[in-house]
Amino acid sequence: MTGLARTVEALLFIAPEPLEMGTIEDITGEPASEITLALGEIRERHADDTGLELAEIAGGWALRTRADLAPACDRLRARPREDRLSPAAMETLAVVAYLEPVTRREIGRLRGVDVDSTVSSLLDRGLIEELETSGAGPATFRTTTLFLERFGLARRGDLPSLERFELTGPEAQALRARLQQAELIAEAETGDG
Amino acid sequence: MQIDLFQGPFDLLLTLLLRDEVDMLELPLAHLIEESVTPSHEERWDIDAASQLLLLLAAIADLKGRRVLGEDGEDEPDVDALAMREALEARLVAYAPFQRAALWLAERLRAAQGPRYRRVPPGTAAAVPVRDDPARLRAAMDTMVEAPPAPSLEHMGVQRRPLPELLGRLRESIARLREVSFEQVVSDCDRLEEALTLLAALELVRRGEAELRQDVPFGDILITGTRA
Repeated sequence: MTGLARTVEALLFIAPEPLEMGTIEDITGEPASEITLALGEIRERHADDTGLELAEIAGGWALRTRADLAPACDRLRARPREDRLSPAAMETLAVVAYLEPVTRREIGRLRGVDVDSTVSSLLDRGLIEELETSGAGPATFRTTTLFLERFGLARRGDLPSLERFELTGPEAQALRARLQQAELIAEAETGDG
Repeated sequence: MQIDLFQGPFDLLLTLLLRDEVDMLELPLAHLIEESVTPSHEERWDIDAASQLLLLLAAIADLKGRRVLGEDGEDEPDVDALAMREALEARLVAYAPFQRAALWLAERLRAAQGPRYRRVPPGTAAAVPVRDDPARLRAAMDTMVEAPPAPSLEHMGVQRRPLPELLGRLRESIARLREVSFEQVVSDCDRLEEALTLLAALELVRRGEAELRQDVPFGDILITGTRA
């Protein structure tokens, strides 16, 4: 390994949080291009058969244990609290993640229901945060660094394109048919009554 | 679907019927049913598709029956209902990607719960209990189950003069001097006895045995006996 790779590896080893590229540049005095090469060396060194892996997460770089070693790690240190999110909370989180910054009203309009309690729950869990505003206009929300870490995302916006999740023609057609069917049933029931 | 009046998918026929673009009265219902359910039909059937089709055919038969009988409200298509359905459809289509994105996120969350990070700042790791230590646990719990100090009951042992005794004392003073100063009567009393003496004086007034007079607010009270 080059001297820079050894230094970066040591920094990653002792860092409690993912290390941002800027921080590594400041400490080592090396340009980002050199550090990227060094990170490549570290990634190679920690190949599949080792206990650690290099991960780009939450806007930085971290050395972390491999997923299959979690049971052993949890015998040394308490298992991290799991985020058990309801489908409603997960959908609200998806809306924020894709549309951030987004207001509570915009989320509610899209979801078609009141979202106050769900937004509060996500705020309490630290998965979303309110953006600093000048005081004028409604509050806007965005996802947090904790959200990126929990969901294993490298940076904000590191999500599949929303178009990928859109309904296909036949799916939209099936939805239309279901609505029509529901309407006909409702009409028939009204007629019976 | 192929009948004289219409050729195309069943869904489209239904939409056109609902929009009144195909005349319900001219719809050959028997032919439509025959076309839909005859065994020679090439499509393979599953129970869901068959039951949906039967439901739709029944609904169309019901609609046509109403139209033929000329029931009120059947002449004009319900424009509001159509607009509401289209608005609901648009909303569901717009929201569907976020529902699917939520499923993707849920899967992502499950996958991301395996790796562990160095969360403990260097130097503090030793403070984290490695495994259960009964002695430490007991020491920690001892402080929680330690009995609190017993409450003081000293004030309950203090003997005070009862109200009847204070009444008797006041009566005696009034009988002897006719008029007594409240301040003099309570000069050797504590605050509680002072209050009880005032109650005793008021009791004498209530019984018509004495009168009270206070010349200035917060000044001394003169207690005067009313009996000769």
